[in-house]
Amino acid sequence: MTGVYKAIFNLAIAFFFVLTLEGIGRKITARVQRRIGPPWYQSFIDVFKALSKHPFSNGWIFDFGVLMALGGAIATAAIVPMGSTFWTPFPNTDNFFVIMYLFAVGALGMAMGMVGSGNPWASIGVTRALTQMLGYELPYLIVLASMMFYYKTASIHLLIEKQAGGWNLLVMPIGAIVAFISLLGMLGKKPFDIAIAPAEIASGPMVELSGKYLGLLHIMHVFSIFVEITLFVDVFLGGGNFWWFLLKFLIVWILAVLISSVLPRFRIEQMLKFYWGVPLGLAFLNAFFVLMGWTL
Amino acid sequence: MGEVKLFFGPNHPGMHGNFSVHMYVEGDIVKRARPLPGFLHRGFEKLMERRFWYSNIALIPRICVPEPDINEACYAMAIEKIAKLDVPERAQWIRMIILELARMANHLMAVGGIGGPLGLYTASHWGMADRDRILDIFEAISGARIYHMYIVPGGVRKNITPKIEEMIWKFLEYIESRFDDYENLIFKNRIVHSRLKGRIILTREHALEMGVTGVGLRATGVPYDVRKVDPYLFYDKVDFIVPTATDGDAFSRVYLKFQELKQSVRIIRQALEKMPQSDKVNVPISKGSALRHRVPKGMAYAHVESARGEYGFFVVSDGKNKPYRVAVRGASYPQGLYGIEKYLPGTRIEDVPVWLATMDVCAPEIDR
Repeated sequence: MTGVYKAIFNLAIAFFFVLTLEGIGRKITARVQRRIGPPWYQSFIDVFKALSKHPFSNGWIFDFGVLMALGGAIATAAIVPMGSTFWTPFPNTDNFFVIMYLFAVGALGMAMGMVGSGNPWASIGVTRALTQMLGYELPYLIVLASMMFYYKTASIHLLIEKQAGGWNLLVMPIGAIVAFISLLGMLGKKPFDIAIAPAEIASGPMVELSGKYLGLLHIMHVFSIFVEITLFVDVFLGGGNFWWFLLKFLIVWILAVLISSVLPRFRIEQMLKFYWGVPLGLAFLNAFFVLMGWTL
Repeated sequence: MGEVKLFFGPNHPGMHGNFSVHMYVEGDIVKRARPLPGFLHRGFEKLMERRFWYSNIALIPRICVPEPDINEACYAMAIEKIAKLDVPERAQWIRMIILELARMANHLMAVGGIGGPLGLYTASHWGMADRDRILDIFEAISGARIYHMYIVPGGVRKNITPKIEEMIWKFLEYIESRFDDYENLIFKNRIVHSRLKGRIILTREHALEMGVTGVGLRATGVPYDVRKVDPYLFYDKVDFIVPTATDGDAFSRVYLKFQELKQSVRIIRQALEKMPQSDKVNVPISKGSALRHRVPKGMAYAHVESARGEYGFFVVSDGKNKPYRVAVRGASYPQGLYGIEKYLPGTRIEDVPVWLATMDVCAPEIDR
């Protein structure tokens, strides 16, 4: 039963902490852009305002897609360990593959719902998002696979425990760099925010969303950010108590925000070329080093 | 793959102005494109025939929002040609300063604004913030930030004080200290290069065929600039160069604008130094109340080099208190209409906002 409580705690942290971080990120971006920026709690206002509005539905596929996206994201966020074995809600199901599969449910739900809206901009956006997934997941999975091979486990909390001697960031730095570049793509930060490019495709998938749907997908996005960064922190930045985890999370997020605020976005084919070029090569190099046992 | 029709504007974040492009795309490639002006229901040219000579000054700046002063200058210069007015020397120098500041405001918005289509929003915000300092100067000079209605037939509305001159000097120093940041953020960025270099090329033949002027033409190597070709005001008394490029691509168009910013700084400095001290900055068109002003019979064409190309007013007077006909030559007319229809097909969806941004398509100029 404690697992359920921990899962609920996970979700609460995901919601409140990540929304706060979004606010801080907006503040940082604003300072880079020589603005003052909105208050740090602006994202809370956005979500609750959107949730209080009457939505406009575009058919049952659209409704179902939004719910599926949110459900997938919640299910994933509930089982991700937060930096230690103690904060692992379900120690038997925190397998990396389970998380990736559940995570894909959310992404596919979003794709289905948005295409269901019938707007061509949304379809283009979804196509781009799925193409981008193809781009970043390949190097990411190769890095993670080599790590699983190295530690002979796919369980996230065991991977955290194995890092007691030294963080994976230091054990396999090349892999960490590749994973961070992939993380930027997962977060949809620049230069990889191709799927929602406002000036090109009118914000893509979100174009037909209104009111509660927008609010729900914002929450889904928040849970996705939580899962993506938590995975990176767990796998590369070692364990520690709960506050250490939050601090590492914050640092990774701020790094992503800073990079994002000074780069323009790629074209879609440039993105794919980029991911399947240097990061993929580095991922293979990392895998090779791991296979040969040449780790730091 | 089937052809899909996409509406790029008027309600689209990548579209600036009341303008629409209907694109027929296959995959990401634009197969056909149709520009659609007509969302601005104002009818400037016709409206001007129904208003007094002087009250038109409130209307004409609205033909181009980012750079309104060129309209006032063209209109005033055309009327002065017809009425053979002698504009005081100081007023002409002030006009030059105003026009160059307006060019800088527009170029800052355009150079930073390339961040809009590229997703480099830091550049956009920087550009807008620095442009705001120019608007502060305009506010101090004329009392208005966007539509100044400052250049009037016969001179300028009022003199600029030494305090304002000091403001301009300070601004020039400030903006020069910012150029390095812009260069590093935008023009040294490899992703910007890969998005703009060699993309969206307008060749010299096509530019000349359509009648494109301004950076669109200068980016293909033709050093056409009205300030040099047919100097108006005192542009022949100041020292500046017209930067050109040979590639004709989106990058060189944006980079030319950035270089022109530096030239504008030079011109304003010289103008401030050479400007004579005097209190007389305007002469009336004719005697009596401004609402009763009459312009003698005749017609004249006055043109200036706007930030987007040659910009002209053809004014016809039949001797009454209202214009008989005013025709506007919008600088972005060729690339905004023919250019989109003819040369947009073949580019990708991502290139469409870049085309609109680097070609400076300004909807009211087309839809006047």
